[in-house]
Amino acid sequence: MSAFAAVLRKDLRLELRGGNSTIALLAMSMLVLVVLVFALDAARLRSFDTAAGALWVAMIFSGVVGATRALSAERENGAIHGLLLSPLEAPSLYAAKTAAAFIFMAVAEAGAVVMMVLFFNLEFDASLVRLIPVLMLGALGFSALATLLSAATGHTRAGDMLLPILAVPMFVPALIAGVKASTAALAGAPLASMGEWLRIMVAFDVLFITAGYLLFEHVVGDD
Amino acid sequence: MNTAIRNWLGLVTLVLMVAALFMIFAYVPTEADQGIVQRIFYFHVPCAWVAFASFGLVAVAGMLYLWLGDQIWDDLGYASAESGMVFCTLTLVTGSLWARPIWGVWWSGDSRLTTTFILWLMYGGYLMLRASADDTPRVARFGAVVGIVAALDVPLVIVSVRLWRTIHPAVIVTRQGGHGLQDPSMIVTLLVSMAAMTALWAWLLMLRFAQLRTRTRLDTLAMQLAFAHAATGDR
Repeated sequence: MSAFAAVLRKDLRLELRGGNSTIALLAMSMLVLVVLVFALDAARLRSFDTAAGALWVAMIFSGVVGATRALSAERENGAIHGLLLSPLEAPSLYAAKTAAAFIFMAVAEAGAVVMMVLFFNLEFDASLVRLIPVLMLGALGFSALATLLSAATGHTRAGDMLLPILAVPMFVPALIAGVKASTAALAGAPLASMGEWLRIMVAFDVLFITAGYLLFEHVVGDD
Repeated sequence: MNTAIRNWLGLVTLVLMVAALFMIFAYVPTEADQGIVQRIFYFHVPCAWVAFASFGLVAVAGMLYLWLGDQIWDDLGYASAESGMVFCTLTLVTGSLWARPIWGVWWSGDSRLTTTFILWLMYGGYLMLRASADDTPRVARFGAVVGIVAALDVPLVIVSVRLWRTIHPAVIVTRQGGHGLQDPSMIVTLLVSMAAMTALWAWLLMLRFAQLRTRTRLDTLAMQLAFAHAATGDR
């Protein structure tokens, strides 16, 4: 647990001292939203499902950027060797990296929600509160999946190009459930009415956190 | 010994395939509603079955590799992913060819199509990962992990895509031919095509697997040779 806290604290401190991950994620989210607003002429539509869809596209793009940065920072100057040599279990490292990616994504999400409300002419009201659990579950699932996969893809010649190619198809269940639940949340439906979508997202998160926890040591080792 | 089994399997595949082709095009009656197009069903369903079996084998081989660490399991997983990809592509192509005259579209958002396509994308990613790295033990571990994670994801993909479609009902409600095989000869034909396609898959898998085994052996020999040269001092 202390190892987990130490790595997480290190990553957060790096970020606060100018790591720029969160800024990159925010910028990516904003760009995607702007592109979709122009492409769909969405401001006039004022439709909840377009807004929810745009939000999740922004989330995926920013999540890919975030996950590639999370481990590439460790590869610079071989910092990963230091981490692996330290008395630190691979699962703790995985948990810390996932937690850091999740925090960066959550911050970027918060910014993206504000921009979505502005760009898509929605209201700042209680429906945004109901969006929080949906987005958090989505960000957690994507962080868990992308952290595991980026440890593998970062070592390849194609490099970070491969991460979205592997991660996005696998993220589809959470994406479908997330967009549906977000649309319902924006339309003002109570949380109980999106039960089955939330259950899929919880199942996705549990599955990939467990898989990452058990399998991370097989991808992060350097031999 | 291995080669002999493989050659026999090749012969069995040939016989079964000829029998299946004869049954599909000459023996089985034409389906009443869909007409001649329905015959593609006898290719489509066996391809889908073989693709799913293949991807399942990738995950099993991946687990065995991570557990036992023997290169043989990785070679099996890789060969299985490649052959699965071939049959998954064939499933999508035959399905699309069938859908055009029956549904009027090449592609619809039907749950089974979407699920198969997502599988195709996942294992396409797996093969790209394999192709973009050549450091064998490491890429073998990556492949094993991705193969396992992808297989774990499949049930969730199926559930979510099905749920997604029931909320947004499909525009075309026609079900696939599997429910309406009235004539017993249709069932026999399907079973023979299944057997033929499975034999073809097993044969292709064995060929590719043998090739990968040879590659592994050559790599080992090359490494031993390099060590021997280094030890004796001549270069």
